[in-house]
Amino acid sequence: MISLLPASERILLEAGTPYIKRYGYKGIAVLKSWWDQKLGQPGYVVADLKCMDRGSTEVALAAAAGASAATCLGLAPPETVNQFILECQRVGIDSMVDMMNVEFPFEVLGRLSQLPNIVVIHRGVDEASNQEKEIPFHHIQRIKETYDVLISVAGGESFREAGQAIFNDADIAVVWKQFYDKPEQMAELATEFLREIK
Amino acid sequence: MPQRLQRGRKYLQIALNSNLFEAGQIISSLPSDARILLEAGTPLIKAEGISSVSHLRSYWLTKGLNFGLASQPSWLNMSAEEAQPDAEAIMLKAGVEKLNAFIPSWLKNSLMTKQPQVIAGPNVAAIAPMKKDLAAPYIVADLKTADLASWEVMMAEEAGASAVTCLGVAPLETINSFIAECQKNSIDSMVDMMNVKNPLLVLEELTVPPNVVILHRGVDEEAFNREKELPYHDIQLIKNKYDILIAVAGGDDFREVQRAIFNDADIVVVWKSFFAPSEETANLATRFLQEIR
Repeated sequence: MISLLPASERILLEAGTPYIKRYGYKGIAVLKSWWDQKLGQPGYVVADLKCMDRGSTEVALAAAAGASAATCLGLAPPETVNQFILECQRVGIDSMVDMMNVEFPFEVLGRLSQLPNIVVIHRGVDEASNQEKEIPFHHIQRIKETYDVLISVAGGESFREAGQAIFNDADIAVVWKQFYDKPEQMAELATEFLREIK
Repeated sequence: MPQRLQRGRKYLQIALNSNLFEAGQIISSLPSDARILLEAGTPLIKAEGISSVSHLRSYWLTKGLNFGLASQPSWLNMSAEEAQPDAEAIMLKAGVEKLNAFIPSWLKNSLMTKQPQVIAGPNVAAIAPMKKDLAAPYIVADLKTADLASWEVMMAEEAGASAVTCLGVAPLETINSFIAECQKNSIDSMVDMMNVKNPLLVLEELTVPPNVVILHRGVDEEAFNREKELPYHDIQLIKNKYDILIAVAGGDDFREVQRAIFNDADIVVVWKSFFAPSEETANLATRFLQEIR
């Protein structure tokens, strides 16, 4: 799939949570190597760890494997989220706090000793099976008005939803399903998505 | 068919969190007691991948087998350095060809196809019949599933897990899907209530309750907030309402293990004493087993 992607710096590659659980940190190192090779320069790889405990250990290993960012759940204990952010700073990678199933992201951010670099507004894949659950785009502006963080939106799978995220001032749109379902259309899909979010 | 938990029995779940080499050494020292459950801890799975579950199974089934030094499987003789290729060194060498040379063939094959690969580790089929009294181990894959529940359950089941964990803070849709997929695959579902203020509220929302509820004080919670205690009081509240087994995790000394059993927990999860192999491993395991009888 990586070989079919356009070599664009605006594409961030993500080692998804099931991928990491299947292959471990070595899987992250492999993706990093292939993406760097494709771009002809160091690429940005997100390790979607969804850290829930032992924040510092997981971050250190992901960074050693070449990740440029790692994710922690907003629903993790505040002790974990704080340690996670500190460790990301120490090893020099971006910290992303994933607000999946968090009704009030503001409350989570308000409890932290320091802010993460990125807040992920996220409707989970399983949640999307519930037709009534929409991506909470309304959180984007509220968070941006109060905190100096980047916003990533995940859970939107169509061009329309990716465009909607950017329209609502998200900085990163996370997609996967269309690429997974149609890997042979990888190049066209990626180019189309990049056009939507320019 | 994976092992299932028996009602009325108390279990000691040993969480292995470091690396496969040390896990193998620790397992070889453990007593062969049916009350021991092995756990492929979240850090181990994220480090080594889901194949760590099948490796733990292999290590247990080959416990105590005396091949003689000359004929021991090569992986038993690996040094710690050989068992743990340096990820940083790999990256420094960067370049697809060099990484491709490193990637084991099972990973190459898996990366090329969508078919899951089951990693069997050493040839257990050849070894197991040599020891007729071997019982298959009960292995918990501590995936802490937060989304894509059916994928993760299937991945764990294919690797030989007897149980999988899901987070109690995960969306309801995920937990319900998780429990349903575990039932479909005849493995135990464990919902981990770490950072859940009221586990009963989560259980009430579920379509079907899980087989096991884990009351869990996290490692970071314990290290950075001395006031956080294990919620032993939730054990009876849950058992009064549901026919569920209760595991308690986060209390690692003998006193906390005693307290968990006194409060009617069915499974006590420990890891600190078993993080690295030592001469004390066997004695510690025996002592913990005495506390849970």
